[in-house]
Amino acid sequence: MPEYPVSSPALSRRLLLTAAGAASLGAALTACGGGGSDGGSTSSEPVGQADIDKAMTTPTELTFWTWVPEIAQEIALFEKKYPAIKVKAVNAGQGTPEYTKLRTALKAGSGAPDLVQIEFQAIPTFTITDSLLDLRPYGASALKSQFVDWTWSQVSGSDGEVWAIPQDTGPMGMLYRQDIFDKHGVEVPKTWDEFAEAARKLHQADPDVYLTNLAANQVAAWHGLLWQAGAKPYVTSGKSDITVSVDDAVSKKLGAFWGGLAQEGVIGVEPDFTDSWYTALNKGKYATWIVGAWGPAFLSGSAKDTSGKWRAAPMPQWDAAKPSAGNWGGSTTAVIRSTKNPIAAALFAQFLNSDAESAKMFATKQFFFPATKALLADASYIGATPAFYGGQKVNEVFAGISAQVDPSFQWPPFLDQVATDWTETVGHSLARKTDTVAALGSWQSRITTFAKSQGFTVKAAP
Amino acid sequence: MPKQLTRPRSAGPLFIAPFMVLFLLLFLAPLGYAAYLSLFQEKLVGGTSFVGLDNYLTAVKDPQLREGVVRVATFFVIQVPVMLLLALLFALALDSGLLRLARVIRLGIFVPYAVPSVVATLMWGYLYGPDFGPFAQLSDKLSLPAPHFLTDSWMLGSLANIVTWEFVGYNMIILYAALRTIPADLYEAAALDGAGAWRIAWSVKLPALRPALTLTLLFSVIGSFQLFNEPNLLMKIVPDVIDSSYTANLYAYTLAFTSQQINYAAAVSFLLGLVIVIISYAFLLTANRRRPA
Amino acid sequence: MTTTTPPASSVVRTADPAPEPSKQRRRRPSQRRSTPLTIAMLAVLAYFLLPLLWLLIASTKSTQDLINSFGLWFSDAPQLLTNIRDTFTQDDGVFLHWLLNTLLYAGVSAVGAALLAAAAGYGFAKFRFRGNGAAFNLVLGAVMVPATALAIPTYLLFAKVGLVNTPWAIILPSLVSPFGLYLMRVYAQDAVPDSILEAARMDGAGEFRIFSQIVLRLLAPGLVTVLLFTLVATWNNYFLPLIMLNDSDLYPITLGLSSWAAQAQNGGAGASSDMLALVVTGSMISVVPLVVAFLLLQRYWQSGLATGGVKQ
Repeated sequence: MPEYPVSSPALSRRLLLTAAGAASLGAALTACGGGGSDGGSTSSEPVGQADIDKAMTTPTELTFWTWVPEIAQEIALFEKKYPAIKVKAVNAGQGTPEYTKLRTALKAGSGAPDLVQIEFQAIPTFTITDSLLDLRPYGASALKSQFVDWTWSQVSGSDGEVWAIPQDTGPMGMLYRQDIFDKHGVEVPKTWDEFAEAARKLHQADPDVYLTNLAANQVAAWHGLLWQAGAKPYVTSGKSDITVSVDDAVSKKLGAFWGGLAQEGVIGVEPDFTDSWYTALNKGKYATWIVGAWGPAFLSGSAKDTSGKWRAAPMPQWDAAKPSAGNWGGSTTAVIRSTKNPIAAALFAQFLNSDAESAKMFATKQFFFPATKALLADASYIGATPAFYGGQKVNEVFAGISAQVDPSFQWPPFLDQVATDWTETVGHSLARKTDTVAALGSWQSRITTFAKSQGFTVKAAP
Repeated sequence: MPKQLTRPRSAGPLFIAPFMVLFLLLFLAPLGYAAYLSLFQEKLVGGTSFVGLDNYLTAVKDPQLREGVVRVATFFVIQVPVMLLLALLFALALDSGLLRLARVIRLGIFVPYAVPSVVATLMWGYLYGPDFGPFAQLSDKLSLPAPHFLTDSWMLGSLANIVTWEFVGYNMIILYAALRTIPADLYEAAALDGAGAWRIAWSVKLPALRPALTLTLLFSVIGSFQLFNEPNLLMKIVPDVIDSSYTANLYAYTLAFTSQQINYAAAVSFLLGLVIVIISYAFLLTANRRRPA
Repeated sequence: MTTTTPPASSVVRTADPAPEPSKQRRRRPSQRRSTPLTIAMLAVLAYFLLPLLWLLIASTKSTQDLINSFGLWFSDAPQLLTNIRDTFTQDDGVFLHWLLNTLLYAGVSAVGAALLAAAAGYGFAKFRFRGNGAAFNLVLGAVMVPATALAIPTYLLFAKVGLVNTPWAIILPSLVSPFGLYLMRVYAQDAVPDSILEAARMDGAGEFRIFSQIVLRLLAPGLVTVLLFTLVATWNNYFLPLIMLNDSDLYPITLGLSSWAAQAQNGGAGASSDMLALVVTGSMISVVPLVVAFLLLQRYWQSGLATGGVKQ
């Protein structure tokens, strides 16, 4: 970080004058204003087959921002079917950093790709700015029956638009250490009350072990828990009305539950995916990990020392009679509205995720949890018995959970802001063991203030 | 004859032209554009509108910005004197001629400057680790309480340590180089007057270091108020301690990139720049006033 | 203070504008070396080298060992060569790209910045023209503006001319070095005597010829200093590539390592913690070139800084 000196006090006056001159220069250079969005059809009139055929046989290069490792395998399948189209995969970051780059590129009017990998929760953040292409005219509606219902509603717009094609999902379950449970006589908790009891019992028996870790920086886990509890924290209607209720009764119930456990000191609250957290998992500091369906594969790669000791189960329930589930993670493929090749891009997005072979590759090569009904019913996939989980049919467990995910959960149109605010209010309260319910109130007011400053009409929860 | 007199004057601008043209394009133009942007506001619903100085008024009242500025001011007050004092002591030690392996020591202290802050933060983040970092492991073995480098109360100090580690060598080299150019006759005169080593350091070396010290201090004012890299990188490990407005510069970055409020971010950045200018000038004026006429 | 000795130091300086430390060495009776001081300074040295030692040791470990073994000593199964090989083969050998990119950006920027600063420093120092003082102070004042203020406007302006996501987006801003300008002006004032310039002009040499054949040579140590410090600044620059580059093939090493670290850290499908060992090894490899460069060129930058530090 080089730092520099100044040697004369006469600077400020001249600086001001020159800055004024530069301001006009800057304004002149940008007189054209921001880039608008063009290209792509706004009606849902289907594009004719003749046009599709022509586009798919015209040499085209598509740029696809994705962080999927080794996606060249799936791309090769597509390029074999449509030799004229070449897809260039670019890793522009994973999750938030990629969204930041995308927003900046869209604002600048240049540098944006044709296609982008985008997680379910981020879709409304890009539809509010009209950045995504409605895929209905390109035949996307025909794919609806192939995908699990809740994933399709996550990618659908309020007027029936199809904004993206689901790629993989993360229904939340609980991975637990069978050996630690056995050692301390803990039963697998089926309800959250049982969970709280188990947490206290376990920590008392062994102060170095916690039942679980609720990361103070992981808003996605919190949203998944809200989702399971039946909350609807964000409801958008039209382009400018939004109802925010992150401190309603359901949220407060969660806040009291988790905040209470944190204050009692019977759960961990450290940030996840850090060196310290990996070490903790490897050394058995946490007896369970409540995580999305991508967790099993991830865990088997990062906690090799504990192989064979883990099992999978559904999350504990608030109401054992009405089991429900939430989702954490999972991505889709969307087309950017300003693309110069809408037909080729739309067809690629559809192929990548609905072609049987491509979808199966995601599950078997990259170990993603499927979004297609076919794979979730596939006997060989469901019946897999990984040794890391002692031969348990982990995929079967998560497939069952996937069927319980509520299809009507919505996301806010400014996710990154909401996420930062959560970490600084609710996350802090967990880490510092202060009042989580009060923190929910702070979170609510921060989101409301931001929404209003951005021109939204914020409605009260019904 | 007239030709040779006038030619030097017109060649001057030609020599500075390449630099100044790039400076204009790459600095003044974006700066002007940022100033222009700071007068507008863009909403997700409703588009862009002219708001005059509203952004600046909001920024002045913004508690998060105030906290961020106070924090870097505190950081400056803690870290800079410590760092410069250390740099001075090391430079004096190296210059004293009393050290063996002076060359090795000099280079070793300077090497951290060549390390990118990404790597530096990675290393120190690991060393600070509360469960599995070496200091924690050692204190565990010695039955001492584990050091809490990454907690709220220690965080500023931990950051200060990283920044000091990175830049002491750089400042030390500047001071040392200045010391090496003190002419020999000054030492001879002092020796003739019977001055001992400490007296020499005080009366001969320190006054000669004044310009270099001023330089390093100015560097540090600007650097510490603009503190960004280290907290930004550590934030990933301890997001519960370092939040997005931990330093003023980090706040401006979050506003621009996460909240997409680039107009407000521009206003915040200008205000921060203004604070830096004021403090730098205040400092320069005091430094100049103290110089003997 | 006696005045019997002529100002030998100033005579020495004008004859040899790049004062070698040895010429200035004070002629003292050989001092006794102080062992306590040496030990204290060696302890200080140990503190500064400690993290680098950790880095070296850590890069011999596998990811599991990083987690399991004591940080400051080796594991049972050192695998430095395996780690190095994996670092270079990960992601189709993108690490080598990153190293070469960094070399390109830093190298071109350093040479360009040094030359531009030399020309401008010479122009400011040795010529009188209107606006000399104002322009110089303007450039120096510029560094007080936080880079974040300029980030998005620069990005937007670059996007308009299609320079985003190209090497130029990194090189062009790095060519402007206010510190380099300051240093070169001071150096030019000190090391380029007016008499030489007058003599050359009397002989009828053109300004450009004077600059390239005489002045540049006199400015050499300062040039190397600016070159080295711009090299470091560009090599270690993280923020500028972060906003300007989308394509990971164009990343410099700082951004590349940070993206691998992010991969190791982020949850969600596609991530794994196998990256930890590679991040550590990659970091170690990335530090080596600069350290070597500084070791080899220390003679130049130390004397170049001397002048900048003394004058104001």
